[in-house]
Amino acid sequence: MQKCVACNLPETYETIEFDEEGVCNICRQKVFKDEKIDWKRRAEMLSRVIEKHRGKYEYDCILPFSGGKDSTYTLWYLVKHFNIRPLVVQFNHGFMRDTLLENNRRTFKKLGVDVISFTPNWKLVKRLMLEALVRKGDFCWHCHTGIFAYPMHIALKYNVPLIFWGEPSSEYTAYYDYEDDEIEQVDETRFNRFINLGITAEDMYSMIKDDYQCDPRELTPYTYPNLRDLKKLKYQSVCLGSYIPWDVKANTKIIEKELGWRGDQVEGMPWEEYPYEKIECSMQGMRDYIKYLKRGYSRVSQMTALDLRNGRIAKEHADKLIADYEGRKPPSLDLFLEYLGITEDQFNHIVAKTVVPPFQPDFKGMEYAPKTSDFERWYREDPEDRGIIVKKLL
Amino acid sequence: MIGILNIGLGNVQSVYNAIYENGYDPIFVNKPEMLTDLSHFILPGVGNFKAVTQRLDQMGFLTAIDDLIERGTPTLGICLGMQLLATTGSEGGNINGLNAINANVSAMIPTESYRVPHVGWNEVHFTQAHPIFDQIKDKRDFYFVHSYHMECEDAANVIATTNYGRDFVCAVANKNTIGVQFHPEKSQKNGMKLLENFCEWDGSL
Repeated sequence: MQKCVACNLPETYETIEFDEEGVCNICRQKVFKDEKIDWKRRAEMLSRVIEKHRGKYEYDCILPFSGGKDSTYTLWYLVKHFNIRPLVVQFNHGFMRDTLLENNRRTFKKLGVDVISFTPNWKLVKRLMLEALVRKGDFCWHCHTGIFAYPMHIALKYNVPLIFWGEPSSEYTAYYDYEDDEIEQVDETRFNRFINLGITAEDMYSMIKDDYQCDPRELTPYTYPNLRDLKKLKYQSVCLGSYIPWDVKANTKIIEKELGWRGDQVEGMPWEEYPYEKIECSMQGMRDYIKYLKRGYSRVSQMTALDLRNGRIAKEHADKLIADYEGRKPPSLDLFLEYLGITEDQFNHIVAKTVVPPFQPDFKGMEYAPKTSDFERWYREDPEDRGIIVKKLL
Repeated sequence: MIGILNIGLGNVQSVYNAIYENGYDPIFVNKPEMLTDLSHFILPGVGNFKAVTQRLDQMGFLTAIDDLIERGTPTLGICLGMQLLATTGSEGGNINGLNAINANVSAMIPTESYRVPHVGWNEVHFTQAHPIFDQIKDKRDFYFVHSYHMECEDAANVIATTNYGRDFVCAVANKNTIGVQFHPEKSQKNGMKLLENFCEWDGSL
């Protein structure tokens, strides 16, 4: 596989392109971000956005919040620097881990904010995971659509037009290129471009309704609200990282110091080097494992790529971390298979159909990554609850 | 209130839908007296210059629209609606238009590579800044369907051009009046933004 000579990301990475020097477009747009974007002007735009909405509604903004480093930093930044009054909205995908929940509790109390949390129907979540896995090799549809659609419903319900997200996607991909020098709008266009895997909630309903007892209303949290309703609200849905240069490592240091935020062990990752990334979800190891099977890289490559771009790690060390940590099975595989009621052979068969060429996975002979310290507390279903409950056919 | 002219000629529903999706509640205008309540007025496209001006005259719209423009109500003409803003049009004879823009409308001349009607997506090049272009980038594609085009007497009225074999005027402005030759209601994201900008515009520059 061809890899970026600067950051190591391979040709199977979404939206990647290489120039004649072998450097990828993600690296190039990062240079643009550092050198060409007028961040002083962007900071002025941020103030204008906030002042335009301050004090006019029940809340100044909706702040979608997982409790990972990015949303925690966003909340801290807006409360501390702008004394904003947010409604924090948490979409609980069902896999939140203990450390994360402790972090959240501490963050909310220290900052003094109102919070609402929503957890969707677990039985439906399992069915959605299976459908998205089979169709796209990506079981996270339920979470990604829910995270981006549900807070928009809350914005409408509370009549709050400003929605503040954290990290812009330009940090990782070129769906939105820093070089366009635009403010990334977190809207339905973006939702359809890469969040929902090309499957709307309406599509999903018709995909599952024949075998799963389901009312179409149950898909509402995953449905993007009508454009007209959002337009009527005069909504503005933007990322803080479009207005201030995003620096994951610096941001993490700040929330550790200011909020006592703690990182965690993530399956398949080097725990010493990267304790701060994707600590939200006990299925993260599974996501990264499938990514490896499909595309030949996992999160270690993504994290070292960021550090390489920022000149924070030596290439040799990045290569070693990738060699040492990628391509290992997460212990959560067993839980995942129980949730969905499939065997590992069936799982491999499904994933094999979604492999991105030229990568060819070797399903055999992969060792398990070590268990995280909280593994034994991850939700394990009773035998009678395992798998998908199939509708009784008439 | 945003009014869309509907005199029973041409497709007006797509303009209505685009304005509605943008979060507004437009009304169809089929009587001249309805014009007095409007905050914004849209003359949609599709039709024949002569047939439409005759119908407008019969229905008593011509002076009522003159008055509305004179009052400073933001007015947007789309395609034929833009052409009606001109002094004269040559479709169906030498016909007088609304004379809100000092211009004449004439047939496009086909060449071997550039057929008429001109149908499809083409780049719109801004020649002047205007509030209806707010947050829209220069040289973006908009959707065109037309056989006639506007030729302005006063270059100051031209705010955008498009190249189709040669440059032609695709957007004009005079005080509170704007005309676009392309169909913003069929031009997806950028068209939707343009219509939103119009609905938010107070008619001043």
